[in-house]
Amino acid sequence: MTDQKTQAELVRRSLKVRYRKERRFRAYGILAIGIALSALIVLFADIIGKGYTGFTKTTITMDVEMDGEMMFLDDATDEQQLKMADFVEPLVQAMIKQIPGADEDDRDKVRGLLNPYASNELKNLLKANPDWLGETHTITVLAHTDVDVYVKHAGDAAYSIKLSDEQQRWVDGLLESGVVDTSFNDVFFSSGDSRDPSRAGILGAIVGSLLTMFVTLVLSFPIGVAAAIYLEEFAPQNKFTDFIEVNINNLAAVPSIIFGLLGLAVFINLFGMPRSVPVVGGLVLTLMTLPTIIISSRAAIKSVPPSIREAAEGIGASKMQVVLHHVLPLAMPGMLTGSIIGMAQALGETAPLLLIGMVAFIVDVPEGFLDSATVLPVQVFLWAGSPELAFIERASAAIMVLLAFLISMNALAVWLRKRLELRW
Amino acid sequence: MPDRKDDVYGDHISHKFNDELMALKSEFLEMGGLVESQVDRAITALVDNDGHLADEVRATDKKVDRMEVDLDEEATLIIARRQPTARDLRLVISVIKMVADLERVGDEAKKIAKFAIKLSEEGQAPRGYVEVRHIANHVLSMLRDALDAFARLDSAQALRIMKEDKRVDEEYQAATRTLLTFMMEDTRNISRCMSVMWILRALERVGDHACNLAENVIFMVEGEDVRHTPVEEAERIVGP
Amino acid sequence: MSTMNPAMTREGEMADENRAQEQVEAPAETIIEEGTTVGRPFSDDPKFKLRNVEVFYGQDRAIKNISLDIGRNEVIAFIGPSGCGKSTFLRCLNRMNDSIDICKVKGSLALDDQNIYDSKRDVVELRARVGMVFQKPNPFPKSIYDNVAYGPRIHGLANRKSELDDIVENSLRKAGLWNEVKDRLDATATGMSGGQQQRLCIARAIAVSPEVILMDEPCSALDPIATARVEELISEMSESYTIVIVTHSMQQAARVSNRTAYFHLGHLVEVNETNKVFTSPEHDLTESYITGRFG
Repeated sequence: MTDQKTQAELVRRSLKVRYRKERRFRAYGILAIGIALSALIVLFADIIGKGYTGFTKTTITMDVEMDGEMMFLDDATDEQQLKMADFVEPLVQAMIKQIPGADEDDRDKVRGLLNPYASNELKNLLKANPDWLGETHTITVLAHTDVDVYVKHAGDAAYSIKLSDEQQRWVDGLLESGVVDTSFNDVFFSSGDSRDPSRAGILGAIVGSLLTMFVTLVLSFPIGVAAAIYLEEFAPQNKFTDFIEVNINNLAAVPSIIFGLLGLAVFINLFGMPRSVPVVGGLVLTLMTLPTIIISSRAAIKSVPPSIREAAEGIGASKMQVVLHHVLPLAMPGMLTGSIIGMAQALGETAPLLLIGMVAFIVDVPEGFLDSATVLPVQVFLWAGSPELAFIERASAAIMVLLAFLISMNALAVWLRKRLELRW
Repeated sequence: MPDRKDDVYGDHISHKFNDELMALKSEFLEMGGLVESQVDRAITALVDNDGHLADEVRATDKKVDRMEVDLDEEATLIIARRQPTARDLRLVISVIKMVADLERVGDEAKKIAKFAIKLSEEGQAPRGYVEVRHIANHVLSMLRDALDAFARLDSAQALRIMKEDKRVDEEYQAATRTLLTFMMEDTRNISRCMSVMWILRALERVGDHACNLAENVIFMVEGEDVRHTPVEEAERIVGP
Repeated sequence: MSTMNPAMTREGEMADENRAQEQVEAPAETIIEEGTTVGRPFSDDPKFKLRNVEVFYGQDRAIKNISLDIGRNEVIAFIGPSGCGKSTFLRCLNRMNDSIDICKVKGSLALDDQNIYDSKRDVVELRARVGMVFQKPNPFPKSIYDNVAYGPRIHGLANRKSELDDIVENSLRKAGLWNEVKDRLDATATGMSGGQQQRLCIARAIAVSPEVILMDEPCSALDPIATARVEELISEMSESYTIVIVTHSMQQAARVSNRTAYFHLGHLVEVNETNKVFTSPEHDLTESYITGRFG
């Protein structure tokens, strides 16, 4: 009896130690997750904090008198005249009217508040409505980038304010009177890159990304799945297939920039394909994603229970029937998930695209697979490296767009898997 | 309990099963020994005119009955729990059958004891007891040999017992004839001679039961049923 | 065992073999002489005629010179300790071992006097004639109807939908499942109970009207009631099919089979009438195994 008692005592004491160890172990885990989560939160907070202003633009709204004499224009339908006409003057005059205490002598300072492209906007308006000539209309034009920066980041030490004290006072007054205002930045989503931060958009990059991804998907998914099926189901087990298998695994670990070099050497130098185009980008990214897709597809095929295969074989299904009727449908969710994750990886890839020239400054939105284009992460890279501070918020905003794409792709993968696995 | 290593029923993976089979076997042998001594003591009581011993024999029969019930229950439980096959199944089945035979032998001993009491009360010098003694020794040795054959799984010995039964029958016939002569000599002997006749009959039955035991031992060892088959067939089965 | 990948199965078997070898303290007379089988391994009217069969996994000899006949419309049970080769031998009968690269089969195996391992022989045709039911119920993740209709579809046994419906109904009836599932043929098969799934697998196997059905421990994953149903089914089917069943349950072998074959370390030790094997087996090893002395 006493023996048993002391034993129970010993067990109880050891239990205490064990529970303490378990608690400590759990605490380490929670700590690790906490660190990871807080890093993520800091990252997001930083990006969103820097970038949310990128989604707003600063505009100037005022009554502009389109005086033909002032603009050296008497027929707004005449292309020749439109080219020669002065569209800056009416805007400057309208501004001077809005600013108390400004006169003709401050023209240059006032002009400094207007975006260099504002006159273009006016020109386009007049071109569209020739009968406005001589009338007065309320027009909204973009403010100068310096004004934009001042309005958004007046107190921020990181941004240098280039406006003079007088100009700052004017802008303050205009803000109060509602002439200078901020609104949703549609320009950011509807235009390509630009040297002027307030005119720069990511539409070109998004379209470039989509075109590149399309090429990648169309090439890498069928090739990857076919390779996986062959290797898993049909290939004989020998040294050669082992060699292939090892090399596919190695390829998945090769730095992506190597694929860029390969693309440069093979597709551009050897095959003479054009630089900076989505087709070449897609080909390079295909090379990069193929190992990922092959590996995940093989894992998906392997995870199909052998009992199903045996069942089909036992009834007398041929090898191909087994694969097409049973293995492939069951492996499809896994294959799709792997492919989408591979695509997401490709979507975020920069390095190989730099080497094939997709880093060029391209203003136009690409219209086809053979148009010069850039992609979202490269656009971020370009803006982030720009000396102009106003581009930094653009870069952060672009990162947010990119992240939104990635998250929705991953969500799609999860949804697809859930959806398709229901059939089990 | 005997050492399980030496016993063919003692090398199962399940020790519990081993123990159950061994217990069944040893309890059966114990019952066999008891029944054997019952017959022996009943005959002694008869020959020695010992009414007291005969009473004891009659009382002990209750114990034999008790053992029969216990053994049957054990065997049933083994079948239910272990689903024995082959050799084990044959052991259990044989035990169930042989227990019934042993119980009958016990009953015969009781019957002999009853006549022993009756004869001792009549108190005259027994006639025909020589034959009784002779046959009794014979069937007792058969019984003992049958139990031995069971314990040692010796089918050859069992076969010898089967052949022996014929000789018991012959001796029984001879003894009956002798008793008949007694009865014809002196009609006053008839009642007592009838009692001795009954005793002889009982002993002959014991011989039959011993023979049954032997048949069951052969089934147990060889896996072939030799009941109602010619002795030659049994000889072929048991082999040289 | 059947659901494991080939390499694992083989390793498991080897490990089991070693263990079995340690456990058997075989007396001199129980040493098996290769290629000899006691009892009645041959049949007057054989469906399968198997002579000197040897199976190699790489260097290892899993089946050692076995000769056996499997009679027409008989139920034969293969029993033996794990790793004795009974499943391997069963899988030779419809060439399920083909998918294992390192597995080589030697000897003559004939189904109705035609060589099974003839290089010209079509495995698909063989498997249509020799169906198989596996250890774990393995219905396809499709509807009940599609499970049964799959075989007839790929073999082109039905030209019209109504013919296919008939085949499905008949197979399910034969498997004793029709009344349970006739109202939910479109339900997925994976939602059924284990016993129903196994009977569905049997229905699926008989839908292609095979002549022989191989069963690899068909009840090892089922509860006793479901087991009883499947056993009942086996005895009903024995009228029209030749059935070969591998089982670990000796009681099951005793209940369903006409003949029983005892395998030991790749040898076929004894083949006899089931009644004889379970009351008085001829070979000591058989006796030791069925009475629970090793295994």
